[in-house]
Amino acid sequence: MKCKECQMENIEGALFCEECGAKLETMGGLLDSAVETGGKGTILVFKTADGNKLEIPAKEDVVIGREDPISEVFPDLDLTNFGGAEGGVSRKHAVIHHAGNIFTIEDMGSTNGTYVNKKRIQPHVPQTIAPGDELKFGKLAFSLQAA
Amino acid sequence: MKKDIKIRCLMSRDTMPISGAEQAVYALVDIKAGSGTMFGTMPANFGLVLDRSGSMEGEKMDNLKEAVGYVADHLGDNDLVSVTIFDDQVETLIPNQPAKNREDIKSMLAKVIPRGGTQISDGLKAGIDEVKKGFSKDRVNHILLLTDGQTWDDEEACLTLSDAAGQQGIAITSIGIGEDWNEKLLLQIAERSHGNSHWIQNPISILDAFQQDVEGVQSVAAVNLKVTARMSQGVKPVKVYTTAPMIADVSKKVVNTSGVIADLGSLDGKKGQAVLIETRVAAQKAGKFRLGQVEVTYDIPSQGVKGQSVKADMFVTFSADALAATKVNAEVMNLVEKVSAFKLQTRALSEAEAGNIAAATRKLQSAATVLLNMGEDELAEAAEREILSLKKTGALTSAGTKKLEYGTRKLTQVLTETAK
Repeated sequence: MKCKECQMENIEGALFCEECGAKLETMGGLLDSAVETGGKGTILVFKTADGNKLEIPAKEDVVIGREDPISEVFPDLDLTNFGGAEGGVSRKHAVIHHAGNIFTIEDMGSTNGTYVNKKRIQPHVPQTIAPGDELKFGKLAFSLQAA
Repeated sequence: MKKDIKIRCLMSRDTMPISGAEQAVYALVDIKAGSGTMFGTMPANFGLVLDRSGSMEGEKMDNLKEAVGYVADHLGDNDLVSVTIFDDQVETLIPNQPAKNREDIKSMLAKVIPRGGTQISDGLKAGIDEVKKGFSKDRVNHILLLTDGQTWDDEEACLTLSDAAGQQGIAITSIGIGEDWNEKLLLQIAERSHGNSHWIQNPISILDAFQQDVEGVQSVAAVNLKVTARMSQGVKPVKVYTTAPMIADVSKKVVNTSGVIADLGSLDGKKGQAVLIETRVAAQKAGKFRLGQVEVTYDIPSQGVKGQSVKADMFVTFSADALAATKVNAEVMNLVEKVSAFKLQTRALSEAEAGNIAAATRKLQSAATVLLNMGEDELAEAAEREILSLKKTGALTSAGTKKLEYGTRKLTQVLTETAK
C-alpha cells in the first residue's frame, strides 16, 4: 500500500503512513472533500441562539471550520466570527454531505467533537441530519433550518 | 455477577481482504469501570515530594503552598499523607500520617524558604520511603513530584526509583514548572511508575494540576490492572500503546513472542484506559479467524475483589469481498491517528537530538501537517516554530520541545464539554 504523499510502501492493513503519518488510501477522499466547488442557491441555514443566520451552500460537500490563511485552510462555512476559536472549533471540523434530498454530517476527527441533538457523533461516520436538528461544533451550537 | 470492569475489543477492520500477504491489524482494548461501580472506595496514601530550590522563590512557592493546602483540605481523615521537600538536601516535613492534621501541614509548609540547588533522586527516595511506611494494597499509594529545575546528574537514580515504585504499586505524577527542567526525565518517571505528568507554564496553574491529581487518586476504580493478550498462531504483536493518562509506547516492556502482558497500574473510573495493540497477521483463507484473546485482570481490595478477570476474543473475517474489506472502524482509526502523530513527534525530536537536522525537519513538517488535519492548530504551529528554530539555530527550543512532547501525548484528552 503506497502512500500518496511520500511514496513510502506500507504494509497492507496499515491506516496511516509509517513515514509521514498521512492517511492511507482506504480513507482517501475524506479529508479532501473541501476542494469541492460550485453549487447553486441555499437549501439549509444555521441559526444561532441570537437569531443570526448562516447560509449553507448547496453543494455536495460543505466543509465547516475556521479559516486560517497561513495554513491555507478555507472552509466553506467559516465559524471564526461566531466565536469559533474560543468555542473549540477545529480548522476542518466537520463536513455536511448532500446527496439528493439527504443531508449527512461527518466529524473530521475534530478535537472537541461534533454533536447532533446533544449526542456526540463518531469521527468519520456520517450521520443523517434534517431541519430542526441542533448541531454543535465544540461548544458552538446552531439549529438547522430550511432556508 | 456484577461486572466491576467492562472491556470492549475493537478491530481496525472487521473484514480483511484475502491478499496472500501479511497484513497489519490494530486491536483497541477499551477498559471502563462498569456502571454502578463505586469510585473512591479506596483510601489514599499520598506523598508530596516538592522542590524547594532557590529558583522556586516568589510566585511559584506561593502557589505551591496554596496547592498543598488544597491537598490537605481535600484528603479524607482515613487517607495518609506525607510531605518531603528537597533542594540539594532533603527534609521530611510531614512524616507519613493520617491526613486529618490539616492545619499542621499548612503551617509547616508556610515556613519553607526556597534555597539551594535541585537533586531530585534524594527527594524522590525519601518521599517513596515515607509512602512505603503507610503502604497497603488496600490503599491508592501515590506520589506527586514537583520541580522547576534540572537535576544534578542523578537521572539514572530517578529512573531506577521510578521502576521500583511502579513495580510496588506506587504511581508517581511528575510536574514540571517553567522551562528549565528535563521533560524526558519527568515523562519517564511517570511512565515507568504508571503515573501522569504535567507541564505547567504559569505558576498559577499549580493548583489545577494538584486538584487533577487528587481527583485522579479519588477516582481509582481498580488497582493491579493488567492486560494479557494471547495471540493465535500466525499473529504477531509488534507495538503496544497505552492511552491514559497519556499516550505511551510500552512495546519494549510488554510485547513478547506469543503475546502481550502489560501492567497498567490503576484504573481511573471516570476516564478509563485504552490499549492499542498493533499486530501482523499472516495470510489466511476465507472465513472467520480468531486473532487471539484479551484478558484484563484487576483487584478492588476495598470490596474484597482480587485477581478478577474479564475476557474478550479478537475476531476478523477474511473475505474476497474487496468492498467490505475497505471499511475501517472509526474509533480505532481515530486513536491510531493520534498515536501516529505522537510517533512522528517522538521521531522528530530524536532526530534533532542526534543532530540529524534534515531528518528532524522532515518529520516535524509531517507532524505539523498531521496535527493540522486533526484540528490541533496550536500543536501544528508549535511544530512549525520548531522547524524555524532548527533552520536558524540547528536546535529545538526548550518550550517548543515541551509543548510537543506533552501535547501529542495528551491528544487522547479532549476539552470537557461545558455547555449546558
